[in-house]
Amino acid sequence: MTVPRLLVLIPCLNEEEAVGAVIQRATAVLDATVLVIDDGSTDGTARVARENGAEVVRLPFNLGVGAAIRTGLRYAWQNGYDHVIQIDGDGQHDADEARKLLAAVTAGDVDLVVGSRFGSSYRVGRLRRLCMRYLARVTTKRLRTPITDATSGFRAFGPRAVALFSRSYPSDYLSDTVEALLLAADAGLRVVEVPTLMHPRQGGVPSANAWRSAFHLARLMLVISLHRFRRPLTPRSPDR
Amino acid sequence: MKNRLDAFSIIVAVANVAVMVELFRRRKVRERFALLWIVVGLGGVILAVARPLLDDLSHELGIVNGTSFLFLLALLFLMFVCVALSLQVSRLAERTEILAEEIALMRAPTDEANASR
Repeated sequence: MTVPRLLVLIPCLNEEEAVGAVIQRATAVLDATVLVIDDGSTDGTARVARENGAEVVRLPFNLGVGAAIRTGLRYAWQNGYDHVIQIDGDGQHDADEARKLLAAVTAGDVDLVVGSRFGSSYRVGRLRRLCMRYLARVTTKRLRTPITDATSGFRAFGPRAVALFSRSYPSDYLSDTVEALLLAADAGLRVVEVPTLMHPRQGGVPSANAWRSAFHLARLMLVISLHRFRRPLTPRSPDR
Repeated sequence: MKNRLDAFSIIVAVANVAVMVELFRRRKVRERFALLWIVVGLGGVILAVARPLLDDLSHELGIVNGTSFLFLLALLFLMFVCVALSLQVSRLAERTEILAEEIALMRAPTDEANASR
């Protein structure tokens, strides 16, 4: 049996302060190639990432987290990586915890693992909590497996998930997490959630703004409510 | 006569929503635009069903004719949509330029190699 090839995928937007340490932690703890997708940063994110030994793919302008992840998963598929761990570039996700996610995927009975932020003392405002509860309830029902943190960006993809999502992945804000879970369920992927510890962010600024979040939540509700009637995403031709 | 008019406006409003939902279902239209038009369509349905609402509103604003108020609303909304689309087109144009430049730069080495062959 061959050793699974692992890619640590870090989507980044202006994370020059934090991304160096994130890459160092990841390479220290995991036997993996680290890939930074620089989603149109205006600071030295790409340079810092390269100095810390990561592979870097620079997008020519900001496309959003979903598109950055799609790019990374295509990279994984084209270069023969069959396992991918997605980690935030701001240092919130712990590399040790990433091993927990990886263990669940390499055990072979799960295709997609979601690292829940509620494993630690993750605090959110009341309104946000309400929205997260709603999304958790919807995804739990569709996936028939308990999900508490549907919008978590701390995930591990097994070979089937890499193959599926490298060909089609929703790119809008919030869709890249929640809608991706629904698509995984449609494709018969086995999804499981694992509680994980989180750090406070090490630098950079959060990208969410209240109006934008509200708009995307409304858009997401439309997507969720009509999801089962929609045509499937048109997949690209396989690159390999 | 008035009932027939009501029925007509309701049918138009509902058809509007139905068309947008179908385009959304076929993934022909980006979700953000689908959301916009579905919300507008639902607004149309509400106005068509509750016609006195429109008259009351326009009366409050000092507009004598409810229909003129509706035209005003429609005009303002269409202007808003035009501006929003202009912004989108500007952004797309800028991105296309950047992409063309990136491709030209990527192609430069192969062009050179082919020329010197």
